[in-house]
Amino acid sequence: MTVKSIFRHETLLALLLVAVLIVLSFQSDRFFTVSNLLNQGRLMTEIGLIAIAMTFVIATGGIDLSVGSILGLTAILTGVFWQNVGMPLAVAACAAIAVGSFAGFCNGLIITRFNVPPLIATLATLALYRGLAEGISQARSVRGYPEWFYVLGQGEVLGVPTQLWILLLAAVLASIILAYTRWGRTVYAIGSNEVASRFSGLSVEHTKLALYTASGFAAALAGVIFVSRVSTTRSDMGTGIELDAITAVVLGGTSIFGGRGTILGTVIGLCLIQALKNGLSLAGVKGDGTIMLIGAVLILAILASNLFERSGTR
Amino acid sequence: MAMTGIDLPPVRPRTGLQRPGALRRLVSDYGQELVVLTAIVALFIVVTMVNPRFISTNNLTSIFAGNAYIAVAAIGMSMVIITGHIDVSVGALIGVLATISGTLAVAGYPVWVAWFAPVLVGMAINSVIGVLVAYARIPSIVVTLGALSILRGGLISVTGGTWISGLPPEFLIAQKRLLGLPVPIIAMVVLTILAALWMRYSAFGRSLYAIGGNPEAALATGIPTERRTVAVFAIHGAFAGLATILFATQLQVIQSTVPPNLELTVITASVIGGVSILGGTGTVIGSTLATILFATIGSALIFVNVSAYWLRAVIGLLILATVLADMLRRRGRA
Amino acid sequence: MTAPYVSLTGMSKSFVGVKVLKDVSFDVRPGEVHALLGENGAGKSTLIKMMAGLYTPDAGTIVVDGKEMKFASTRDATAAGIATVYQELLLFPEMTVAENVFLGHYPRTALGIIDWPEVRARTRQLLDQLDTFDLDVDTKVLSLSVAQRQRVEIAKALSKNARVLIMDEPTASLVEADVQRLMAVVRQLRERGVAIVYVSHRMSEIFALADRVTVLRDGAHVGTRDIGEVDERELVSMMVGRPIDSLFPKAEAAIGETVLEVKNLNHGRHVRDISFALRKGEILGIAGLVGSGRTELALTLFGMTPATSGEILLDGKPVRIASPRQARDLGIAYVPEDRGLQGLVKSMAIRKNVSMASIEGVSSGIFIKAGAEAQRALDAVKRLGVRCRSIAQPVGELSGGNQQKVVIAKWLQTNPKVLILDEPTRGVDVGAKAEIHTIMGELVKQGVAILMISSELPEVLGMSDRLLVMNGGRVTGVLDRAEATPERVGAAMTRLETGEAA
Repeated sequence: MTVKSIFRHETLLALLLVAVLIVLSFQSDRFFTVSNLLNQGRLMTEIGLIAIAMTFVIATGGIDLSVGSILGLTAILTGVFWQNVGMPLAVAACAAIAVGSFAGFCNGLIITRFNVPPLIATLATLALYRGLAEGISQARSVRGYPEWFYVLGQGEVLGVPTQLWILLLAAVLASIILAYTRWGRTVYAIGSNEVASRFSGLSVEHTKLALYTASGFAAALAGVIFVSRVSTTRSDMGTGIELDAITAVVLGGTSIFGGRGTILGTVIGLCLIQALKNGLSLAGVKGDGTIMLIGAVLILAILASNLFERSGTR
Repeated sequence: MAMTGIDLPPVRPRTGLQRPGALRRLVSDYGQELVVLTAIVALFIVVTMVNPRFISTNNLTSIFAGNAYIAVAAIGMSMVIITGHIDVSVGALIGVLATISGTLAVAGYPVWVAWFAPVLVGMAINSVIGVLVAYARIPSIVVTLGALSILRGGLISVTGGTWISGLPPEFLIAQKRLLGLPVPIIAMVVLTILAALWMRYSAFGRSLYAIGGNPEAALATGIPTERRTVAVFAIHGAFAGLATILFATQLQVIQSTVPPNLELTVITASVIGGVSILGGTGTVIGSTLATILFATIGSALIFVNVSAYWLRAVIGLLILATVLADMLRRRGRA
Repeated sequence: MTAPYVSLTGMSKSFVGVKVLKDVSFDVRPGEVHALLGENGAGKSTLIKMMAGLYTPDAGTIVVDGKEMKFASTRDATAAGIATVYQELLLFPEMTVAENVFLGHYPRTALGIIDWPEVRARTRQLLDQLDTFDLDVDTKVLSLSVAQRQRVEIAKALSKNARVLIMDEPTASLVEADVQRLMAVVRQLRERGVAIVYVSHRMSEIFALADRVTVLRDGAHVGTRDIGEVDERELVSMMVGRPIDSLFPKAEAAIGETVLEVKNLNHGRHVRDISFALRKGEILGIAGLVGSGRTELALTLFGMTPATSGEILLDGKPVRIASPRQARDLGIAYVPEDRGLQGLVKSMAIRKNVSMASIEGVSSGIFIKAGAEAQRALDAVKRLGVRCRSIAQPVGELSGGNQQKVVIAKWLQTNPKVLILDEPTRGVDVGAKAEIHTIMGELVKQGVAILMISSELPEVLGMSDRLLVMNGGRVTGVLDRAEATPERVGAAMTRLETGEAA
């Protein structure tokens, strides 16, 4: 272990998280309780799933702005497939997730086949998918789901919120894939130098296609969990969630230009954001004040890590 | 070293045009602008045939005047993107500036103070962003993502979500007319032309293209890239301020929120108008045309009786089609 | 003898404690070509960047036209009449030729706005002065060839009334015909009294052009001579610090049976009806001008731009190559032309670059075995003599020659039967160049078949067993080592079809 690795972005961020947790637990005795923390985990899941997939996408040098719209579309479709089409709810949810994954696949297709920059491609599909959600829902919401469906978003397994298990599983799997497998190496290689990756015989197009599909899948899964958590569907669900997820990923040390980043960093980033949101609201700061603070933390964290990096290498 | 043939590339024959291939050059330099313009014209013709009320003065005013603020904001955004950066916080900025402007107007300050304040504050806020991008070397998307949170959070925590009402009538410049035309339309046209000329005929404007096209080469050419980056963000802030004046004065009240995803609408207008997201190419004329195109599509759908719920889906589809068409056109050229 | 226009005395510069330039003096006179020689890392770039105002010296004085100057930025150097044509041509692809020439110092009208007609007229005039009548001032730079871009750069320098023109390896990416044309331009500028600082690795040009030559080594000044006083051997030993015996040590290897056979291969305009055979242990050189289809042929064999018709036989069996991945699996490796863009992931460690094309080989299932990967990288670094701190060092920190060895190492991991080397020694200094040639010799001894593309005629002639000459996407000549003379190759390079001149 060299001195430099101690100053890695993730380490700094983890220290910051610990400091924030300590300060917040002094601010309010309701903060550092098991039930509160688990509840925060519940609230974090949707952004978390999206951010984990987004880490891969950003590490290849891409971006996916359409995830919030895919989330909304999936939520609407779950309700429509179940109530209007008459599918059994489980089938409806799976079908909706399949459509969401397909939406992600289309992003990948536009990006790889037509060489559209990811920012533009997903900006366009952000409008398209949200538009489809609005058009299909016609501003109607679907409620009254069977009890078992709420287990996903409101229930618990072994005393821990159901969706938190999903998030944990996703985080563990994703970090293993990114850090230790050939696929993970390919992701970093593409993000660092796409042309050289292609010249080295790596399957750049397939990898990207898979990643945007995975991003769509994560957003779709988050959509179904969202519906189960709030018991209803609305076409504006997930609006702006893409910026929250990107914030978590970038805060977690993933370079927006690609080639660098870890799932651990993203998870710490997520926890930091959620802790700030919750802790400050318990301490009496209005919800919007915390949004401000998150913005400031994002800029300062990147600024600090830029300064460390510069003094480290040159 | 004779000066012969300077107006005439040696191999091409002389034609009736002032410069041979002028038309071809127009198409190659303003290709995307022409695509958007053609789309607007075609849309007007088709929709008017279906429903002649489409070109009524009332409707035209609502199409052009109601969206002028987006076009004005897109001018600044185009400059930022041409320089190779991006700003995802402009929507939140306009919200904050509108509240500042409205508060000053209601508090009884002279209207010109209420009008100038957003321009100055916009410049100040975006200068800070520019400094973080240029000197602290944080990618602009990260800085503006942070700025988005700060501005959005700040706006709601200060206003508490209440609307500002009781605005003095003389403050509401967007509702006034000049030479029979609504002020926002005049502002949009004049600002677009001025900005386009400035981008084409000033050394400053050209240096923005240089920085966006090849930052390393720009530095070696002696262009002060850092200072220019701060300046372009400041100018973008000024345009956001001007956009704010048009946005905040169109109704009797100022809401504490702006249309959702306003920043994405503005960015989309720039990009559909032909500004490359990679920097270095595009014009502000394109972004204004694209804004008009979106507004026309929105209005047209209502006139041909498409349900309002499907509006965004259709707009999304059209954006996607434009993007793909542009990519195919570029591939054909290469 | 005229007085120097620019003279630098006692220039020193350190970066983070490392002295890259130690007490170097250098001057250049009007109407003179002064060549600057040295291996990569010898301090040439640092020296010219100081003259261009990009770096400020730690010590030393710059005297321009008798006056002592301090350059705080490139603007100051430009004002003093010093202009630079960099190796990585610093142009703006989306802008027109005229705008590139006058960017940053546009002629203005009385209103203070840019006078575009004047910009175009003066650009035309400058290009005409360079005998470049075929270049339209309204063309976007992105559609120009490297040689044309270079002329735009020179016009740009002249537009600033440059008295001193620094040219950093101007011929590194030019083919022979363009080199000749560039040399004519340089001579013409010299006649007009421009002082020229000429950085190059190519000895032939230096002897053809330079009046004086200065050699740097390890940041120190080794010597300045009139060109008549030195020969090639002496210059090389001044650069390397030791005598080098043979510039092209052609290793004799046993040539075996045919490995790769290509019949009537086609792809687009640049690969037309190409047929040839490559045998085990053979080095087949490919010579040709830019646009002759050399690299395009390599890309087609490598599956980047799959063949539209024709046959490729590997060990006698017909194969279809539709992607680099398939090429790799069939035993074809390609060391690309553009090392930085296509060959390497510069920010990644040597270890990861070495395993990049053979990642399955160091994995079990989908998991990478870090130990096996490191071992392979260590072996490769040792075998090819890559000079580095450790295999964890990012490739971008290595010198050009060592970077090239890493790319070769990457492909050797795949145990290729056919190794395609595209400009293997471009931008590589003399010492490392000889080492790469030695590596090639060892590989053919082990039975690898090598296809080598090079723009440097002495290299192709010196290294190849046989020579394939291309023009216009076709093979215009196949020559054996014994019959390949520069004249014959040159004739074939400009010939239209094989049968025509024979």
